[in-house]
Amino acid sequence: MEFVTSPWAWWVEPFTDNEFMRSALLAGILTVVTTSLVGTWVVLRGMSFLGDALAHGVLPGIAIAFILGVDTSIGALAAAIAMVGGITLIRRHSPLPDDTSIGVLFVGFLALAVVIMSTQQASYVGDLNRFLFGSITGLDDADLARQAMAAGVALVGVVVLYRAFLVMTFDASLARMLGLRPALASAALLALLAISIVASFESVGNLLVFAFLIAPPAAATLVARRVPMIMLVSVLFGIAATVVGILISYHHDSATSATMALCSVALFFVVLTISAVRRAHPRRSRSHSAGEPVAAET
Amino acid sequence: MIDVEDDTCELRRAPAHRERRSPLTLPVVAVLAAAIVAAAGCGSDADDGTAGAGTDDAPTIVATTTIWADVVDNVACDGLAEVVAVVPPGGDPHGFEPSLRDRETMENAVLVVANGLGLEEGLADTIDSVEASGVTVVRVADAVDTLRAGSNTHADESADDGAATTDTDHDTDTENTDDHSHEGDDPHIWFDPTRVATAIPAIADALVSAGLDPTTVEGCVESYTSELVALDGDVEAALDVVPPERRLLVTNHDSLRYFADRYDFEILGSVIPSSSSLAGTNPRDLEELARVIEQTGVPAIFAETQYSAADAEALAERVGDVSVVTLQTSTLGEPGSSTDTYVTWLTTTAEQIAEALS
Repeated sequence: MEFVTSPWAWWVEPFTDNEFMRSALLAGILTVVTTSLVGTWVVLRGMSFLGDALAHGVLPGIAIAFILGVDTSIGALAAAIAMVGGITLIRRHSPLPDDTSIGVLFVGFLALAVVIMSTQQASYVGDLNRFLFGSITGLDDADLARQAMAAGVALVGVVVLYRAFLVMTFDASLARMLGLRPALASAALLALLAISIVASFESVGNLLVFAFLIAPPAAATLVARRVPMIMLVSVLFGIAATVVGILISYHHDSATSATMALCSVALFFVVLTISAVRRAHPRRSRSHSAGEPVAAET
Repeated sequence: MIDVEDDTCELRRAPAHRERRSPLTLPVVAVLAAAIVAAAGCGSDADDGTAGAGTDDAPTIVATTTIWADVVDNVACDGLAEVVAVVPPGGDPHGFEPSLRDRETMENAVLVVANGLGLEEGLADTIDSVEASGVTVVRVADAVDTLRAGSNTHADESADDGAATTDTDHDTDTENTDDHSHEGDDPHIWFDPTRVATAIPAIADALVSAGLDPTTVEGCVESYTSELVALDGDVEAALDVVPPERRLLVTNHDSLRYFADRYDFEILGSVIPSSSSLAGTNPRDLEELARVIEQTGVPAIFAETQYSAADAEALAERVGDVSVVTLQTSTLGEPGSSTDTYVTWLTTTAEQIAEALS
């Protein structure tokens, strides 16, 4: 229970003593910002399956980009566009529900990635591990700069498109009436999603980025009402999970990205429990409890 | 103008009263709760962050595999340094992912010794990052004559398809001198003790630059080099029982190329035609390999301890009269076992090969 008995040594020293820990933390926080901002909308719009499919469906794009010697991020984005295009195509030409078209493309893209990689030999295949689980011990300045850019793009995108996202989430026809171009906004959201996935390769890796897209925003919706507050709370939850995850991984020598992902999911369940308990026993009086009473959010 | 914010933002079926608490207090409580829940599950006290500082006097040197750790330990003999391996005994350097702790150990070391040539695929960018932050990194393969990685050499001859990589001449694998790029070469250089011996001076130079006493290091180099020469002789003697027509190697992965080169064996082919453990099998190549095994009557396929031998075993069953022998190919045994030094490991491996083929 060192994190209680010697808090400075457990919580702070790993970061003050080691630059790579600070880099890892920074990468984690940037990932959280990007994924929380975008993930809030993924959760609100019920796009979780698509989000996961996109996260893994970028693999063939990466494989092809690697073979061609092109930047893998470009390959990933191209694959994301191809997948979304495919889903739209199926939607337009068949009565199949979205989750079927997403499922078909998801598995197709994954299989394509494996086939492509099996035709290659030796060293390329090793990078797969790094894509899946991230490489938070091998960050350099370029990685951090890329993540900062992605976070910036996500922030700007979410702010600029806030109204469009908001209205189209809760009332699509109203959005059209108001001239908010829901089709375009929808495409923009998918683009932001693809960017947040690609940007998180280094920190959490492809397999587990989904945890950060979904768990902190989901936990935040249990606690906050207004969307901007949901995004903020999600970022805070995500940072908490990242800090705890990195520290546990450091002190107990566990896989970092998986530990961070587990923490974010664990946090979700903690929040769920607390909020469920509070809903079962609503306060009847206006007495103070833990924390100061604040004017209700409207 | 319809005000969207008020009505459409209510996401939850609201309880009868309004929440009076800021939604921000819960995250704080949640953090502590999550920390307690998560950390309570881990019983043992972890070290605090002083791992890798070494003993009070001896600096720390980090090697990637246990094999190189032992070699470096012998060049920095007499307790000149504390040498640790990142990939634990029995681990797979191809796929090993370093933890934050490993990164810290490397960061605090005076020298990092890696094999290079893509052996430590999972460690590659961590090593680069450590190098960028100022720690000297020696990649042993840079100092050694390397061989090009190839696929099933015999299979290439008969099948002759464009999909197969590189060379089709078997016994005369092209040797690369240091002038050429080593890109794509086979990394398993530790199977040839004479090559390891040629890398010793480079390791010694790095140790001296890292601050170890040059005279002592020189003494260590001399004694270890003669140990390696003796090892080379012992291995050759152990392999004498294998007649020339039996000096054929079929492996699970393409890992014995340097052994074959040094001790006059021929690589018939590999079940998985790649030196990377993460590649897969190819049915057509397997067909070819089965045919070649039947033709030559080779009695054993050599698999590796750290990877699944399922494909090799399936092939052996199909061909019949072939046994699958498992070798430790990229790691030493646990400390205290009979293969916990480079010398004992290579001797044991050679004996296993000799027994399987004679």
